[in-house]
Amino acid sequence: MSAETVADLVTRLEQHPFTQGFPTSALDKLTQAATLQTFQPGTFLLREGRDADHFYLLLQGQAAIELYLPERGVIRLQTVGPGDVVGWSWLLPPYRAAFDVTVINTVQAITFDAARLRRLLDDDPTLAAHFLRRLVAVIAQRVHATRLQLIDMYAVKGGRP
Amino acid sequence: MMPTPPSPAAQPTGPTGNAWVPIPFTVVRRRREIPGTVTLWLAPPEGYPFAFRPGQFNMLYVFGVKEVPISISGDPGTPVPVAHTIRQVGMATQALVNLKPGDVVGVRGPFGSAWPLEHARGHDVVIVAGGIGLAPLRPAIYSLLRHRPQYGNVVLLYGARSPRELLYARELERWRGRFDMEVLVTVDRGDRTWHGHVGVVTTLFPQADVFFSPQNTIAFICGPEIMMRFTVRELLDRGVPPERIFVSLERNMHCGQGLCGHCQYGPFFICKDGPVFPYQKLATLFGIREI
Repeated sequence: MSAETVADLVTRLEQHPFTQGFPTSALDKLTQAATLQTFQPGTFLLREGRDADHFYLLLQGQAAIELYLPERGVIRLQTVGPGDVVGWSWLLPPYRAAFDVTVINTVQAITFDAARLRRLLDDDPTLAAHFLRRLVAVIAQRVHATRLQLIDMYAVKGGRP
Repeated sequence: MMPTPPSPAAQPTGPTGNAWVPIPFTVVRRRREIPGTVTLWLAPPEGYPFAFRPGQFNMLYVFGVKEVPISISGDPGTPVPVAHTIRQVGMATQALVNLKPGDVVGVRGPFGSAWPLEHARGHDVVIVAGGIGLAPLRPAIYSLLRHRPQYGNVVLLYGARSPRELLYARELERWRGRFDMEVLVTVDRGDRTWHGHVGVVTTLFPQADVFFSPQNTIAFICGPEIMMRFTVRELLDRGVPPERIFVSLERNMHCGQGLCGHCQYGPFFICKDGPVFPYQKLATLFGIREI
């Protein structure tokens, strides 16, 4: 990877909400596992049941976390866009994606190779601490939102009739 | 003698005339909005001057069935015929939903407090609606847009259960097409035909953040109580002052004048002191299980 490409990645990482505020040394390290990629609508960032071999920081575009249900078709559970992250199944064995993630509008993302990223985190506890703290915050937000979805709050008496 | 119509000026506004007698209004138009939800336009008797403030409600009486509180959902600039968007949730609302042009319904009101549009002047206005909660907010949106230069940025965040349950979809499109208002819409569940945002309404905030300045924002929220609680948290986390967050509460209103006690909420009567409250007044009550 050229010095220019690394510098560009570091700049983008500095601006992304997930990695904003990381020490420069940590960002430099992360570039070792990162590439800048573009994904066209209809492509999958992750497929349910397949290897979760990538982690994405979205810069532009929109993707949907989906689940296919027999006889009901594809259920769109959540959409993600610029500033969001995609994937955490790469972190824990068996490293298998739990949902499909489909590109809706052309996505530009910083894509991390999961195996290299795991090695980087294993080798550098400080980097791992920064990284996992942010990832836990994302997971917590998603869990909160999912709990609210589970309530199905508009179903029965959603507001004054 | 024609009963005196309630005054729209005071806040909270309570009828000053004979607030106990339902006035016969005639259904002049009916529109199906989404499954189980219709908007009825009700015309008062000739010469009966009706006016209301955004956020207020009427008691609608289906003769021989029951009387229920229903928010006014029309434009306060053209208050008659009076628009009510009604969701079928019980016997009385089912009877209302089934009314047709020419049918007569008893109307008492308007009752209750209003969205404080006068305090919003010069501020960014963030409106957060969930499900049918968009109906009581629509009159406020009409007013804001009518006097658009008086306000800062106007942002509407709207969440519904699914794409087919988006209320006023055509109007949302029209508002979204304006250059002086931001409209962000989400659904709790989507499918492949839905290309918009999927997630609860609070997940729209990261997108909305660029459109308002929290310290200079006034927020109006209406929807299921749980949705309002979480929305208030998002707004407070962003630095919106608690005294500038307003919510509209729903309880079992009956008399409309704070006498019968059916809609008591802690020290308040929703029908008289509300339904629109500053969050600060409710901060210690919100989410208490016993209330």
